[in-house]
Amino acid sequence: MLVEKNVAVECAEKLCASVANGLEGKQVSGYNAVKNAVKTAMEDGLMRILTPKQSMDILRQVKVAQNEKRPYVVVFVGVNGVGKSTSLSKVCFWLKSQKLKVLLAACDTFRSGAVEQLKTHAARLEVPVFEKGYNKDAASIAMDAVKYAGQNGFDVVLVDTAGRMQDNEPLMRALSKLVNLNNPDLVQALKETAYGQGPPRLIDGIMLTKFDTIDDKVGAAVSMTYVTGQPVLLVGVGQTYTDLKKLNAKNIVKLLLR
Amino acid sequence: MVLAELGGRIAQAMRSMTSKTVIDEEAVDNMLKEISSALLSSDVNVKLVSSLRKNVKNRINLEDLATGLNRRRMIQQAVFEELCEMLNPGKKPYQPKKGKPNVIMFVGLQGSGKTTSCTKYALHYQRKSWKTCLVCSDTFRAGAFDQLKQNATKARIPFYGSYTERDPVKIARDGVEMFKKEGQEIIIVDTSGRHKQEASLFEEMQQIAAAVEPDDIVFVLDSSIGQAAHDQATAFKEAVSVGSVIMTKLDGHAKGGGALSAVAATSSPIVFIGTGEHFDDFETFEVRSFVSRLLGLGDVGGLMNA
Ligand SMILES: Nc1nc2c(ncn2[C@@H]2O[C@H](COP(=O)(O)OP(=O)(O)OP(=O)(O)O)[C@@H](O)[C@H]2O)c(=O)[nH]1
Ligand SMILES: Nc1nc2c(ncn2[C@@H]2O[C@H](COP(=O)(O)OP(=O)(O)OP(=O)(O)O)[C@@H](O)[C@H]2O)c(=O)[nH]1
Ligand SMILES: [Mg+2]
Ligand SMILES: [Mg+2]
Repeated sequence: MLVEKNVAVECAEKLCASVANGLEGKQVSGYNAVKNAVKTAMEDGLMRILTPKQSMDILRQVKVAQNEKRPYVVVFVGVNGVGKSTSLSKVCFWLKSQKLKVLLAACDTFRSGAVEQLKTHAARLEVPVFEKGYNKDAASIAMDAVKYAGQNGFDVVLVDTAGRMQDNEPLMRALSKLVNLNNPDLVQALKETAYGQGPPRLIDGIMLTKFDTIDDKVGAAVSMTYVTGQPVLLVGVGQTYTDLKKLNAKNIVKLLLR
Repeated sequence: MVLAELGGRIAQAMRSMTSKTVIDEEAVDNMLKEISSALLSSDVNVKLVSSLRKNVKNRINLEDLATGLNRRRMIQQAVFEELCEMLNPGKKPYQPKKGKPNVIMFVGLQGSGKTTSCTKYALHYQRKSWKTCLVCSDTFRAGAFDQLKQNATKARIPFYGSYTERDPVKIARDGVEMFKKEGQEIIIVDTSGRHKQEASLFEEMQQIAAAVEPDDIVFVLDSSIGQAAHDQATAFKEAVSVGSVIMTKLDGHAKGGGALSAVAATSSPIVFIGTGEHFDDFETFEVRSFVSRLLGLGDVGGLMNA
């Protein structure tokens, strides 16, 4: 049942095994009592996975960066088409509503229309974009953007990057370069909720996208945190700027065990 | 590549049969159990897996197996045929006709690869000396027209779109109209990404389809989509008459089985697969040679090349 809702098979098996372990030796009589005991144990197991070990308060971290007189830098990474650029603009909308000064850095210099896409969002959100067109080295554009932001009193830089498959070595190397050169505060990995994929590298937090397209097949939230050990910070639930939510672990568990 | 792991596990399960001295029902069951679990781990729909399991078993005649004659081939054949069956809608894809306009509309979930595949599709036919062109009726996504325009310019394909018109139905109608007058042969209409949970988006898709009366509707599906694939594909199929499927991002390393299930749901043939972001990363699809490659049997058909 968990698998049908997109929890990865290995993860579901481990979860069941741990529930079975916990229940072994316990005295319960009657079918209903057993059923309830299993359900409670399952809920506990899922909640444990979904609740982040350390909390990640972006606004507080921004304050820390402000005190150090430098911009807070977030890099958005993920496979092609997961929703990096859209999510970046949603986060921008939210940060702006917190009265922060945000700069967007157009570091997807590969995909057609990527720069114009970001400029369109920026115009609607009334924030500036730092861009150098196409086919340039993304890492150095990011570096220049951060420098520019520092000099011009920006609180946050949101860096858009080109989509890439994890096993595409040259592209992953280019991404490592961008991350290493710029030492961002947060590397936000974008994951589509519908998808059952392997662990991404070098990330600090996960954002699940297109949560609105999957009905109750919310298992990816579980598998993803389980595999990466990283918290799901935010969830994308639609195509407009306000469609951004915090992960509600209780709801996920309820949907999974329904 | 997507599905490589699945292929490896199925092949392994089949190999384990050859090393066995006695092939009885239990041995076959064990192999099928392993194959089923491989399919499930790669997100193939649960119902499809159980029917595949039943069908393979029906195909394998245990008495023939007992005599040891060609056991390996017989089992391989049964699994192979059933996997093909899963991907075979029993229906031929639309064949564009020369010398007249063929309107092809692209639909699919957000970010599945429609705009990219549109260009690849146009280029594929252009290279076979068809007169092809692109219409951008995506007025929703930021930068959508720029994306199509830049792609089309790179590939030297005529395009139509607008920065100011907000009505995708009007753009689609006008663009198709204009290109028909010009005598274009393959007129491709790119549309916005959409999903079944938002009814208004599906209505818009139906309106565009009604306006341009496409000869074929291509459903573009990201191969890394998981268990949600089946329901989405079914919904698209119910809303418009999907006739072909393009499966994208086969160069990724996601599990891929969800996409295979979705194909079964649309009961439409896969016509092309996308294997990268570049225009040349595009192959014509042929079920038997795909399954044979999947199982590491080599490219039997030799038909994979575009
Ligand atoms: N329904 C829904 N659609 C979304 C969501 N997030 C993004 N999208 C859509 O997904 C599509 C792709 O989004 P982008 O932001 O361009 O994705 P990307 O990861 O930047 O893509 P590339 O840069 O090409 O790799 C767009 O059509 C978005 O509108 C979401 O939470 N829900
Ligand atoms: N690696 C890889 N990337 C692909 C493939 N096909 C498309 N892409 C990438 O996937 C991302 C999304 O592709 P688009 O063509 O913009 O998708 P779309 O369906 O038009 O997206 P929306 O219009 O927002 O719904 C882009 O970054 C493409 O370069 C493929 O076969 N392999
Ligand atoms: Mg992007
Ligand atoms: Mg598009």
